[in-house]
Amino acid sequence: MDTPARRPSSELGAPPARKGWRRFSRRLRTSFGLYGGASLIVGYLSIIVLIPIAAVAAHGFSFSIHTQGWGAAFWHWHLSAGFGIFWHDITQPAAISAIRLSLWLSLSVAAINAVMGVAIAWVLVRDQFPGKWFLEAFIDLPFALPTIVVGVVLLFLYGTASPIKVDLFETWMGLLVALLFVTLPFSVRAVQPVLASLDGESEAAAKSLGAGGIRTFLWVVLPSLWPAVLGGFGLAFARAIGEFGSISLIAGGIGRTTTASSYIYNLTQGFLWTNAAAVSTALLVLSLLILITTNVFARRIQRRLAS
Amino acid sequence: MNHTTRKWSLRLVVILYLGLLVGLPVGYLFIKAFSNGFHAFWIEVTKPDAIAALKLSAEVALIAVPVNTVVGIGAALILARRKFFGSRALTLAFDIPVAVSPIIIGVALVLAYSRIGWFGGWLISHGIQILFSPIGIVLATMAVSLPYVLRSVLPVLIEVGKDQEDAARTLGAGAFRTFWQVTLPAIRWGVLYGVTLTIARTLGEFGAVLVVSGNITGKTQTLPIYIYDAWDQNYDTVGAFAGALVLASISIVALIILSTLRARERKLHVDLA
Amino acid sequence: MSISLSHLTKRYGDDAVVDDVNVEIPEGSLTAVLGPSGSGKSTLLKLIAGLEIPDEGRVVIEGDDVTDVDPRHRDIGFCFQHYAPFRHMNVARNIGFGLRVRKQPKDVIDAKVAELIELVRLEGKSKSYPAQLSGGERQRMALARALAIEPRVLLLDEPFGALDAQVRAELRQWVKELHRQIKVTTILVTHDQDEAMEVADQLLIMHEGRIEQAGEPTELYERPATEFVHEFLGPTTIFKGASIRPHDLELVRSSEGAMEGTVQSIMELGFEVQVTVALSDGSTPWVQMSRNEFRAFEVATNSPISVRERVAK
Repeated sequence: MDTPARRPSSELGAPPARKGWRRFSRRLRTSFGLYGGASLIVGYLSIIVLIPIAAVAAHGFSFSIHTQGWGAAFWHWHLSAGFGIFWHDITQPAAISAIRLSLWLSLSVAAINAVMGVAIAWVLVRDQFPGKWFLEAFIDLPFALPTIVVGVVLLFLYGTASPIKVDLFETWMGLLVALLFVTLPFSVRAVQPVLASLDGESEAAAKSLGAGGIRTFLWVVLPSLWPAVLGGFGLAFARAIGEFGSISLIAGGIGRTTTASSYIYNLTQGFLWTNAAAVSTALLVLSLLILITTNVFARRIQRRLAS
Repeated sequence: MNHTTRKWSLRLVVILYLGLLVGLPVGYLFIKAFSNGFHAFWIEVTKPDAIAALKLSAEVALIAVPVNTVVGIGAALILARRKFFGSRALTLAFDIPVAVSPIIIGVALVLAYSRIGWFGGWLISHGIQILFSPIGIVLATMAVSLPYVLRSVLPVLIEVGKDQEDAARTLGAGAFRTFWQVTLPAIRWGVLYGVTLTIARTLGEFGAVLVVSGNITGKTQTLPIYIYDAWDQNYDTVGAFAGALVLASISIVALIILSTLRARERKLHVDLA
Repeated sequence: MSISLSHLTKRYGDDAVVDDVNVEIPEGSLTAVLGPSGSGKSTLLKLIAGLEIPDEGRVVIEGDDVTDVDPRHRDIGFCFQHYAPFRHMNVARNIGFGLRVRKQPKDVIDAKVAELIELVRLEGKSKSYPAQLSGGERQRMALARALAIEPRVLLLDEPFGALDAQVRAELRQWVKELHRQIKVTTILVTHDQDEAMEVADQLLIMHEGRIEQAGEPTELYERPATEFVHEFLGPTTIFKGASIRPHDLELVRSSEGAMEGTVQSIMELGFEVQVTVALSDGSTPWVQMSRNEFRAFEVATNSPISVRERVAK
């Protein structure tokens, strides 16, 4: 048996670490990497998103902080009328009709695209025919195109000088088409991967038990798709209710087709910032509510499916 | 109704819906472009105001895209590799810009940083003006294009796992070397995907920028605002159309890059939401 | 002692995954850490490598307390369960990574990489990428990458877990041979007792975060300290109320010093035959014997037969 020759201690030693320092420095670096990095990110996030959103909500309730310069560090908190003003701003007839228009348009658009999204996803996943890749490319187009481009094109196509003689200028139909266009990818892409991941075994089982195609779809496929469909619905709704660019042109300038976003924009043009903040707050709460509700429902269904 | 008719009718419905809703407008845009002729298009996009808008859009993208890329990768690394209190809240916070109307983002920035906003007095006394200035445009653009790199990189980072990084560490590599030579190459397609989305979103952003920019021709007009202005204020349909064509072409190139990347890496999904 | 662990403890929340482990691993040994999944063996390996930070206890490698040393300064070769190849580097660059980190001159790196490629029998694959390699080749590349830095200790996490049976058997022999050549202190983690018994010269049995027993394989097999070790290291059966290895039982015709019963079932597994006997006391031990032994008895199901403990010859 050969003797276990001790490998000569090589010159390949690891990069040196100083001894007494190392426990401290290791702990320091581990936590610095995390907390240092995280606080930089949270700081950036606060500056560009969190603080501004907080400012909207605060202004909405006319709750403002006046800073009298950092040197004096004098903060003057000023709470005036609060909820009363907020309520007054969002119950203006024009504000109410704008929010109502946005609400029902967004719900309809999300619902229509939820149905069409399932149909489109089904064809994209299960059907095979030449030119399918072309349809696939269509799905992402509305997301990639800047909203103002969509607005311009739709106005060309469906405006007063429509080449196909479909004049939707200043009508809710025009808004509906624009919103269907921009929310399409959300509805399809939410469902498509889930449908693709269904293995088809339960479907085959249902068919072997004598269920027809439609019955199999309704009883076997659709229940597993519900969470995804709901998720897509929530996203499409949130996108639709906040949408501005694609509808700003076709909506024209009349009250009947002023959505919540356009209404807020009009207020800013008149420098009515407090009113704009109030309506923004209402809209924020509304879209977050829908997003959270659909999320909660989707999760509940998911959990039932998983168990 | 038998199986074949059902299949064909579904196929037909889907093709019709997509064709009418998406194909018709987009097709029309390009057909109209060719019928106008290249010369007319060229005259429009070389007008000084159009060039100024194009330049401002490019400058804004040059600031917003790198910053959001660094922040996105950093956030993805922390969220994928560390567990800490509030990580879920951080993920949610990153999603705010896609869940909220761009108009509201614009209003929010004004109410925080303009003369009438929380920090306006201090900022203006230090010579920083946000409203009606390129700084405001950059801030608005950074806000709306924030989530895309994170959303593209995070799933890839989780999928790739921590083992390669651990292996590099046991072999003696420090944090920087590990990141540049091991982590970044492993997630490069995800990063590229996110950057492409960010660029597309940055160049196309309209609502938030419109609110903060004040829409001063030649000064605070990005390309989307130039298009809007050409149409809405100047009734210059040809100019609006030419600008739209430039933006549409950029986004279609972006789309081609995205689908090529997706075909390459099945891990990449369109994380729109 | 090459590695000594004292009071090593790692908790996730309230669960101690590694619980007060005290162990000495001899210089130049090939030690297998054996335990069921979830016994904390992989975590133990990561604690030694520094990839996990212990809550309590010390890790000492060659007399050097490395508990607070970053993994990059520990001089350890670690092979991951799924090999963790750098996918965007070819085989040669993967193997040379640690040497490049140590700022070795290019010709030294090239020579060392070539030597290692020969050692792990990957000749002709140096320009291939991990995706183009088979599982076994990837495993050997990962081993070469770990060996390139001339580690003080080599740690292998489930090294054969992801391979199919035949490649697995070959690689076990190869690793054993490799260890005989280079004599670097090696710890491998496995849940497969056959693998551990075959490859290792030292065994550490882990159970619920604790070391149940440590020592040489035959010693543990013959003198298990706990019931867990006894049952984990090989098949057991109950005879006269006690747990015993089925190959320590034998069938006999005469009932002298044996328990009577009838054959309940016979399972022929090639060379090995397992006979389950229903005894008069209601127990049903099974007896393991060779095919030739079995032939001598000419028993069938329901034949009367007796069972006794095998007498050492």
